[in-house]
Amino acid sequence: MEISANNLEIGYGEYIAVRDMNIQVKKGEITTIVGPNGSGKSTVLKALTRLLKCRKGTICLNNQNLKEFESKEFAKHVGVLPQRHSAPPDFKVKDLVGYGRMPYQKWYNKNNEEDEKVINWALEVTGTWSLRDKSINECSGGESQRVWIATVLTQKPEILFLDEPTTYLDISHQLETMQLVRKLNRESGIGVVMVLHDLGQALEVSDRIVVMKDGRKYCEGTPNEVITSRMMKEVYDVDCEILNVAGRSKPLIAYKEIV
Amino acid sequence: MKSAEKISLLRVSSVMFVLLILLGICSAISLAVGSAGYSIHEILSALFQEESTPIKTIVVNLRLPRIILAILIGASLSAAGALLQSVMRNPLADPGTIGVSAGAGTAATTILLICPHLTASVPLFAFGGAALACVLIYTMAWKGGVDPTRIILSGVAINSVLGAYNSLLQLMNADSLEGVLAFMNGSLSGRSWYQVRIALVYASIGLLLAFLCIKNANALQLGEEMAKSLGVKVNGSRIFLSGVAAFLAASTVSVAGMIGFVGLVVPHIARLLVGSDYKAMMPVSVVLGSVVLLTADTVGRTIIPGMEIPVGIVMAVCGGPFFLYLLRKKGKVSGN
Repeated sequence: MEISANNLEIGYGEYIAVRDMNIQVKKGEITTIVGPNGSGKSTVLKALTRLLKCRKGTICLNNQNLKEFESKEFAKHVGVLPQRHSAPPDFKVKDLVGYGRMPYQKWYNKNNEEDEKVINWALEVTGTWSLRDKSINECSGGESQRVWIATVLTQKPEILFLDEPTTYLDISHQLETMQLVRKLNRESGIGVVMVLHDLGQALEVSDRIVVMKDGRKYCEGTPNEVITSRMMKEVYDVDCEILNVAGRSKPLIAYKEIV
Repeated sequence: MKSAEKISLLRVSSVMFVLLILLGICSAISLAVGSAGYSIHEILSALFQEESTPIKTIVVNLRLPRIILAILIGASLSAAGALLQSVMRNPLADPGTIGVSAGAGTAATTILLICPHLTASVPLFAFGGAALACVLIYTMAWKGGVDPTRIILSGVAINSVLGAYNSLLQLMNADSLEGVLAFMNGSLSGRSWYQVRIALVYASIGLLLAFLCIKNANALQLGEEMAKSLGVKVNGSRIFLSGVAAFLAASTVSVAGMIGFVGLVVPHIARLLVGSDYKAMMPVSVVLGSVVLLTADTVGRTIIPGMEIPVGIVMAVCGGPFFLYLLRKKGKVSGN
């Protein structure tokens, strides 16, 4: 399965946030969108998941226009974890994760055996099984992020979209979330598309990186092709060196010392 | 895992059980007390007598319909409040505070004054007014999304505009004032089986629809984007849920006038009792709402001998401070 977008233009009111955007994301791949604040990363992610309408251009899922999909049908292919999400604090983890089954149910259905199986799988794979009877406000920031990822996984999506999944987390929970993303991709073959701020993490987990600047695509490719000191200077106006370290498969970004 | 589910189910059913018993006790008390007080024994023996006695007339034709009306109206207003709170993602939303009831009242008043022969279709016009108020609130509060605070503010504004319009209508039609005042101050005084029949039809339809909304009401609590990505048609659900809430509120306005704060206080207490999941919260709200309104009405008609305080005023006196308390508490939470 793949989603491909051609010549997108997306805007809010007078303001054009993204223009001339072409992007392709696939099942089985981790694609990361990076770029400075306001460069249009989240906007592209929202357009690809139908949360925003585009002014121009077309987006297709397996050559079928996104507009033609029924809401529930689309939700079976694509899961989205928005940057901001909230649940009533007393919701039980297991109940929240169960909402991921909504696309498969009619308004009168209760969870059937299949639903329960998928919910349990999602709890297991995200390491939230032990939290299942807790309420959301009893979970730490990292735990609740994993619970939300479990909720989206319960949709059984082929491609998972995560909008800045690590932004409000401390470093240990950031790494934990990245490990989870990688594990889901490697073990279950789920495609992942995410917006990240940390380029080091993007470099490590991504198969492909798309760099945005001022509402346009600046470049895209494998992490090694894309993350260069030249790109860092031109896109972020930051001086750095990309260092290869013995014993690590991916290079490190060494920013210029702060004086 | 199963045991935790059982515990929560046990909790919900015991809360429901206690509330139903409470409702029974309140109804019995309400039957017995009033300007003419009777013992339960007197009432029971009067009810099963063939010939009509004063006791039987008072109990069957005055108190019983009033009790049933209070139960139906309390249930409808609570369900309406619960639905609006999910749609607007705001625990302060209530048909009274955000102007939905005022919309219904205004439409009903206008019709009664301008075309008195259309009395029979008052509920219909009340629904139109309530729905229009909903649309207005949305339009005013919309700024690339619905901001909960703006909803309350625009509701307050709409409430005062409609209040002014109502006062104007009253000034211009001072001779037929009585009917108008009945809408302004929610009251169950002098209601009969006629109103019960109307309320029964509308409340059953409205409550049935409200129960069909439970799943979507829950999903809307997760936020607009999350609900959308779960395949929920967010705007459609919002319109449907608001429509059901407006229908419920309008049906209560057309038989009893505007009664505020029920839809605010009751769902809040229900949440404290059984949590935010509408599967439990909605049925508990409905029964609790009946208990609250019945109690308020009984207190209103008995607390000062020889005088009746309209139930709308009793609810405002008790509910107003509660509203302020919620406002304060909510401010603290969002400040975190």
